[in-house]
Amino acid sequence: MDLVHLQRQLVDYRTSLYHEGFLDEQFTQLQSLQDENNPDFVVEVVSLFFEDSERLLNELSKALEQQIIDFKRMDAQVHQLKGSSSSIGAHRVQKLCIVFRNYCEAQNVEGCLKCLQQVKHEYGIIKTKLESMFQLEQQILNAGGSIPV
Amino acid sequence: MELMNSENIVQDRQPAQPQEEEEIMQQEEEEEEQRFHVLAVDDSVIDRKLLEKLLKASSYQVTCVESGEKALEYLGLLHHSSPASSSSQHHHQGHKVNLIMTDFSMPGTSGYDLLKRIKGSSWKDVPVVVMSSENVPSRISMCLEGGAEEFMLKPLQLSDLHKIQAHLLKSLPHS
Repeated sequence: MDLVHLQRQLVDYRTSLYHEGFLDEQFTQLQSLQDENNPDFVVEVVSLFFEDSERLLNELSKALEQQIIDFKRMDAQVHQLKGSSSSIGAHRVQKLCIVFRNYCEAQNVEGCLKCLQQVKHEYGIIKTKLESMFQLEQQILNAGGSIPV
Repeated sequence: MELMNSENIVQDRQPAQPQEEEEIMQQEEEEEEQRFHVLAVDDSVIDRKLLEKLLKASSYQVTCVESGEKALEYLGLLHHSSPASSSSQHHHQGHKVNLIMTDFSMPGTSGYDLLKRIKGSSWKDVPVVVMSSENVPSRISMCLEGGAEEFMLKPLQLSDLHKIQAHLLKSLPHS
């Protein structure tokens, strides 16, 4: 696949992520902070997000398996996940976290379980999509091209 | 950038004299001292990385800590007794602190707790900016009344840093 084709593919892919609400303006902000001094900035921040999210999702799963559910602690963890998804522009995950927090506050186990499933699902999607996007970017760089803005 | 000519190239080949190296280091240290130094406090590793980048992109020197406790420790306020020497005022190990930016919701010592501790100490003249992902009017007024210079909504953007610059300039001593 030639360079121009790859670059077009990337632009289309990125645009679709915004159109479909997977990413929001904050992701653009992240990209604008990347420069020659810090060419891997976006990948680094997103990797931190992946690590942090997976840790939180595991803890939330465990929390909901307990005999006595610590809703307050869960709420704090969902708050963290909401914050970090907001910071990188992972729009759908962020929106789900808001709903999740409402269920925590209402101490609604069913609601929490359902939300957790949905958040895990959306997280999985955005992770795959961002990884695909980074792969495309790497292909472009390997082909000697530059990432279109 | 100096144009390279054959004379310069020959000079560059020579190792710098120890005195010159020292001078260069001194100059770099001085330049660093002239930049504003921001202490950034946030329990989120992602937000710390973001904030650090935003601040560095605006040419500030940054120190990031992960908790209110670590911030108090950095400022020498962890133990209840006030710092012994007056030379520690606005300085930590010789480095000044021009601005403190702290997240509001942190486990343990919250951003608000940190704000109150700072305002009740010898660091009280250092501007404190509180950040939060939640837009809660009562929280905002509480922080402003508690002495915060500004309350900012996360996620922060480069344009938000312009507001901060005004506060930093205000805090400069009379020259």
